[in-house]
Amino acid sequence: MFSFVSKRLSLMMMTKVCCFQRNFSSALPPLVPVKLPSKMETHFWYVLPDEVKSESLLSQYSELLSPREKKNLYHMQGDQFKKSALLARVLVRTTIARYQTNCQVNPRSLKFKKTIYGKPEVDWENGDKWCPPPLHFNISHTSSLVACGVTVNVPIGIDVEEKQRRLKNKILAFAKRYFSPDEVKLLTAISDPEIQRQEFIKLWTLKEAYVKAVGRGFSAAPFNTFTIRARVVKMGGFHHFDTQHSEASEIVVESSDDPENLTRNWQFALLDLAGSHYAAICIEKENSAGGEAGVPMRLTVWKTIPFVEDERVSGTGAVVPISGLIKQL
Amino acid sequence: MFEQGRISSVNSVSLSINGKSFPSLRMRSAPRFRVSCAAKPETVDKVCQIVKKQLALPADTTVTGESKFAALGADSLDTVEIVMGLEEEFGISVEEESAQTISTVQDAADLIEKLIETKSA
Repeated sequence: MFSFVSKRLSLMMMTKVCCFQRNFSSALPPLVPVKLPSKMETHFWYVLPDEVKSESLLSQYSELLSPREKKNLYHMQGDQFKKSALLARVLVRTTIARYQTNCQVNPRSLKFKKTIYGKPEVDWENGDKWCPPPLHFNISHTSSLVACGVTVNVPIGIDVEEKQRRLKNKILAFAKRYFSPDEVKLLTAISDPEIQRQEFIKLWTLKEAYVKAVGRGFSAAPFNTFTIRARVVKMGGFHHFDTQHSEASEIVVESSDDPENLTRNWQFALLDLAGSHYAAICIEKENSAGGEAGVPMRLTVWKTIPFVEDERVSGTGAVVPISGLIKQL
Repeated sequence: MFEQGRISSVNSVSLSINGKSFPSLRMRSAPRFRVSCAAKPETVDKVCQIVKKQLALPADTTVTGESKFAALGADSLDTVEIVMGLEEEFGISVEEESAQTISTVQDAADLIEKLIETKSA
């Protein structure tokens, strides 16, 4: 997969033609461009590794990676894991490249860097002829699903987890060690072990998504210093929510350390994705909407095989809202 | 999942230039020349066992001190479970800030021994 001769050749090809979408890779068709999400929208893209079967496609995907990404991939153990790690890099590169509607961007030429806290972001310094959009992204993957969330202007964090995920440790022992006292109380009150396990996984994804959205690493927000819970919201009558219940539930985060400021600005969505995963999305609310209660997260979801097929699945059975105020587009 | 705020991961990247790593700079690969605060091989072995068990790795998977958790397929939940398993095995308590600095099996073993030492001091 990593033959140096062909790598050098394709590198030569690409540096000449980086601006022409048709030619950036010998056989891959162009990416379908997409408009940036508006300020109040969230875009969510995912790939199901099991649907990507072609070895030649995977080989072409690996040519999109930077040398460092290829090296990291090379050192990974386990084929399933390696494949989903490859698809995660491909998904983030191709997704961001889609949004460059004024000038075609080669997904292979994107550079990434990390903030001092370790959160990945696009490094627009190189090849910055184009005006970079204020685009935020976050990735999460399991061996069976790879996801990338995109927003404009506001930070985003996402986490996906297999619904069937089992802990090696006992759930309550784990929760007592890592979750907040209120969350432990909530989990302890669930007598059915299977429901307790599901609620645990949902809570984990929400907490992860929050910490990733805040983007300052776990030490800035240790798991046991904040509580995430669902709160019933009275329907205002004007907003149309996707929920099977007559009352909508909003997900809120409360911090024991930090007063209202940090925690009031975050909006959450929890979804049942593709029937197999829980997906949690956390975005920062725009300042103007900070105090307003009951504004749903406008969400569009695509299932994709980059360069092959894109399918908008928001509003279908592939995306089932569990909680949070969500409006699917 | 992104690497969780570990500045130390920047250090490990700087050891490899142009994709090649320089063995002489990687002191961890030569245990005999280690400085004295490194963990005992038995500790490293135990950590390897716990990691293999947590990640349900096939028996023939190579896990050594140099193995990175991320490269073995550990996501953040796995990593926290591994830390919890290590706490139980060694009777220690790992603060989240320290847990964040662990990226390899050796890091974990070194931290464990440091904590055991502090505990018994």
